[in-house]
Amino acid sequence: MRIVLAEDLTLLRDGLIRMLEAYGFEVVAAVGTGPDLRQALLEQRPDVAIVDIRLPPTHTDEGLRAALAARAEVPGLPVLVLSQYVERLYARELLADGNGGIGYLLKDRVSDIGEFIDNVRRVAAGGTALDPTVVSKLLHNHDLNQLTPREREVLAHMAQGRSNAAIGAALFITEKAVAKHTNNIFAKLGLQASDDDNRRVLAVLRYLDGQG
Amino acid sequence: MADLGVRKVLAAAAVAVCIAVTVVWAMTGGGEFWPRWVYFGFGTITAGAYVFRRALRVPPGRRRWLAVDAAFCGLLVAVDLTVWVLSGRGYFWPIWTMLGVSTLLATHAWIVSRPPGRRERELAARVSTLSRSRSGALDRQAAELKRVERDLHDGAQARIVSLALSLGMAGDLLRRDPDSAARLLDEARSTARAALDDLRTVMHSIHPPVLADRGLGDAVRALVLDLAVPVTVTGDPPAPLPAATETAAYFAVAECLSNIVKHAGATSAEVTFAGWPDALRITVIDDGTGGADPAEGSGLRGIADRLEAVDGTLTVSSPPGGPTLVTITVPLT
Repeated sequence: MRIVLAEDLTLLRDGLIRMLEAYGFEVVAAVGTGPDLRQALLEQRPDVAIVDIRLPPTHTDEGLRAALAARAEVPGLPVLVLSQYVERLYARELLADGNGGIGYLLKDRVSDIGEFIDNVRRVAAGGTALDPTVVSKLLHNHDLNQLTPREREVLAHMAQGRSNAAIGAALFITEKAVAKHTNNIFAKLGLQASDDDNRRVLAVLRYLDGQG
Repeated sequence: MADLGVRKVLAAAAVAVCIAVTVVWAMTGGGEFWPRWVYFGFGTITAGAYVFRRALRVPPGRRRWLAVDAAFCGLLVAVDLTVWVLSGRGYFWPIWTMLGVSTLLATHAWIVSRPPGRRERELAARVSTLSRSRSGALDRQAAELKRVERDLHDGAQARIVSLALSLGMAGDLLRRDPDSAARLLDEARSTARAALDDLRTVMHSIHPPVLADRGLGDAVRALVLDLAVPVTVTGDPPAPLPAATETAAYFAVAECLSNIVKHAGATSAEVTFAGWPDALRITVIDDGTGGADPAEGSGLRGIADRLEAVDGTLTVSSPPGGPTLVTITVPLT
């Protein structure tokens, strides 16, 4: 799988390259500025881009804007955005176009290597990988009393973008049990069920985000 | 002014000249005692130097001018009187000098004694406000730095020390007890994560990253997403804003919203940006129970102080029963 990496902290960039190559990914371009990223995304058309939000020259949200611009040109171009802090505002902007292939994670998550690689693969496949911190903020502001505690757990994992199999593995229950929970959740929240993982996640997130 | 050593030399030179002149007079046969004019000259210079030095010690301003004026007038009268005496008396002509000088000095003293005009009063009031808000700002900054140091010391720094400890122990046990080592490494990872969380919290309390990245409007929009009460944000502040204004306004709005969530019993609130280009005006309205009083509770008082440092003001209209309207205004130049 071909990856474009954008990270201006050389220490972290080298570490990420080493990790990704150890897991069989090919890092076709590793850049350190916003303009370089835009160019690399359009030229290389990677399978997935891993992008730090804060990049030179402005050190504000260059990475985010480059990702959104590239996805405007190439809809659904998979981008995994890393940041030192997560804001629901940015999550909204990334998910706004409704196409899949979006990840938004705290940089801290890279220390959990297995999880991180899973997230990269999921985003490359058109799925979603949303940081649990963002998800818990989303869930926090909702009165989800009609759901059982287990269903709330499943909902949290669904909102992060995980598949039924992954949720089952995380919660030590069978995939079938997960499917039963998700159906209940969708019924109770009045959401349209869908077999498409991606569409399902986006429906959940739209619901949790209060639809505006 | 010449320091003591030089003065002594000059004084000695003057005395020497006086003595020399007297000797010359004695040796040229006496007669009219003309050396008295030489003594008079040196006397005038000495008196003048002394008197003007005293006058210039008065702090600069109107009073100093009056002092110099008085010194000059006094010297002038003394010189005239001495000349009159030394030139054999007669018609008391110094009376005219004395009258003129008194009139001048009296007029000057009257001018100085009048109360300051409106402009001066305004300036005096402004100086007072600026001194107060500057010392308030410095105090606040010092207190904040202390708080940050404490937070870092107790939070992130402590965790990183613990992290280093876990890693050290894991290294030790790596060959003898790999299972324990693996457990310690897991612990180390979660400690690192907790340290990062602590750092994030501290940084957010000093200057929220989204404020630095996106500016005031988006920072407030991001803030309200996380609140338990739904808040709409309308309008946008002008960009770019001076950094101090932006920070003061952000924390002011954040404190208002925090009060609304904690105390007001509100079901919704609205934040509006308006008023530019002359000023930044932010209104925060909530439909809660009202009764907020800026005099109580250090929260609103703290915001008002913070805003004063950027010449901003905070007004609260909060009748019991609501709604509550808080207006934050900061002039933009």
